[in-house]
Amino acid sequence: MDDKLVVGIADMKMAKGMGMLVTYALGSCIGICLYDPAIRLAALIHIMLPLNMETGRKSPLKYADTGIRETLREMERRGASKSRLTAKIAGGARMFDVGGGGSLGNIGQRNIESVHMTLRREGIKLLKEDVGGTTARTLLFDAATGQCCVRSYGKPEVIF
Amino acid sequence: MKNFDELNGLELDTIREIGSIGTGNAATALSSMLGCEVRIDLPEVRIMGYNEAIEWIGGPEAITAGVLVGLSGEINGIMLSVQQLEFVNLVLQRMIGRETPGYEELEELDRSALVEVGNIMISTFINALSSLAGITIKLSVPGFAVDMQGAILAVPMAEFGGQSDYIMTIGSNFICGERTVPCRLLLSPDIRSLNFLLKKLGVLDG
Repeated sequence: MDDKLVVGIADMKMAKGMGMLVTYALGSCIGICLYDPAIRLAALIHIMLPLNMETGRKSPLKYADTGIRETLREMERRGASKSRLTAKIAGGARMFDVGGGGSLGNIGQRNIESVHMTLRREGIKLLKEDVGGTTARTLLFDAATGQCCVRSYGKPEVIF
Repeated sequence: MKNFDELNGLELDTIREIGSIGTGNAATALSSMLGCEVRIDLPEVRIMGYNEAIEWIGGPEAITAGVLVGLSGEINGIMLSVQQLEFVNLVLQRMIGRETPGYEELEELDRSALVEVGNIMISTFINALSSLAGITIKLSVPGFAVDMQGAILAVPMAEFGGQSDYIMTIGSNFICGERTVPCRLLLSPDIRSLNFLLKKLGVLDG
């Protein structure tokens, strides 16, 4: 675990064959792990919002739709095949329950829906997910095995 | 419309001044709640990228408490008070007469006290801002969470993330007797509100 690659917010990193990818403290954000088992290419994306409606599209990795598509292109460039790719996702929590706050805090749910829709449209199979709820998650993704681990505050680790 | 990273020197100074006055008022409110004199260091207002802001507050995974209030009316936004353990223990010691070794041990009464203190600090800050700018701001009921601080900070970031890659942090220290504890506030107006506020304060350039 000494060679952990840290993925920030609105960020993506890849590892091939070995290495651990990690993204910390996913609240309403979602961590998307994409994996090609044949060549053991792993990519972890940390998206913050559901849909990219920016005019210049300067930061595609901030959004579920453009983040996933941009990453798929990068992975294919490195030899991945879309037909082999699988996904595991975690995040999309609701951190605060604000009475009378209207849509405030609803972003997690919208993120989950957008990630599901984008994966479906791209034909990527969603193997496992740990989404929703009210707690933050740290997501680890092992490039050697494609296995994920979710760490939350005050809860046992979830391996999937 | 100006984004956070496009503000000029005068506009930034004005924002800093709001930070100082608001934090000063929050400290006075805290004094009366805690029943002791609370002084503050000169507040530091910073505008940072998301990942930088999370490092500034002490890293993503550290556990913290957050009190969040939604702003509406003439300003639309969020204000967040991040309550790190030293701050929590100052409040609990003065208000309830005991301290807590960690967030896991917080009892219902402790949580109520923290929500109330956070809510009053935010309300006082916003009241000061309202009267400076001559505008009306409505506040939501406060929300409270104990969790990883990265995820707590991501709430205001995500809310207006489609408009800006930056977040405004107000950092200072509360000094109460022998104790110095961090005060960490985040004021996140949406971009339209930021511009409206600067215009009302008479400093918006163009």
